[in-house]
Amino acid sequence: MNPRLARLLTRLYPRVWRERYAEEFEAFLQSGPSGLQAVANVVWSALHEYVIPTRGNPMNQNPNSFRSILKYPSAFLPLAMSLGALGVLASAAIYGLLHGAGGIIRQPDEGTAAHLWQILMAGQLPILLYFAVKWLPRAPRQTLYVLALQAGAALASMAPVYFLNL
Amino acid sequence: MRSTRNVASPENDTAAGYFSDPPLLVLASLANGPKHGHAMIDDIDRLCGTRLGPGTLYGAIARLEQQGWIEPLPAEERRQPYRITVEGLRVLRAKLTTLQQFTKAGLRRLASL
Repeated sequence: MNPRLARLLTRLYPRVWRERYAEEFEAFLQSGPSGLQAVANVVWSALHEYVIPTRGNPMNQNPNSFRSILKYPSAFLPLAMSLGALGVLASAAIYGLLHGAGGIIRQPDEGTAAHLWQILMAGQLPILLYFAVKWLPRAPRQTLYVLALQAGAALASMAPVYFLNL
Repeated sequence: MRSTRNVASPENDTAAGYFSDPPLLVLASLANGPKHGHAMIDDIDRLCGTRLGPGTLYGAIARLEQQGWIEPLPAEERRQPYRITVEGLRVLRAKLTTLQQFTKAGLRRLASL
């Protein structure tokens, strides 16, 4: 196989996999045939490696560990929503500063930023509830850690509203 | 008129007999000594007529190495040979024994038809 093509195909694999196999796999590809079938096989295998990784993801990893639980949408979505709400406040404050208001511009009907913040904060409540109901019986301690993290993010988002009387 | 759609032909037999469990094939290939990638592909081809693609082979190698069933030997020029571990031999023996029991039972059922 053409060395360039071999290198390109090897680069399709995840970084962790490449750290271990890139050198020998590239040499292996270079010394083999370069048919369309071989190329398709490598592309498919590289994609498969992203979905079910062999490196950096031990097969016996505890599915109830803090890191594993945090990967579920019901765990990370509330965090993302709280941070998003904080981002909304920050962008509103920056907008106000840029327009000489010295902070968030108060509007009589609360305004878009306030509505966005409310939607993000209220929208995460059912997800939080679902997460707690699903995971507390399975892995109480790890779930409590995640819940604490979610509560921390929510408090961080609510703090400016409370302290700045927004 | 007789339909020829389901008539067995040597080509159909080959396709129907295609066996693909790459990790098991790699373990079986390494059972008679260490080999590098291309030697494994040729050996597996001779063993059961299945020719593994390069990505499939290295997918199997990575999984087997992760499980400690095969291990790399010092590289020879640019070729990387692998050998089966003691644990890998134990796993291969267990898998092949199960497969043998399954094959015997399946063939007995076919014979009784």
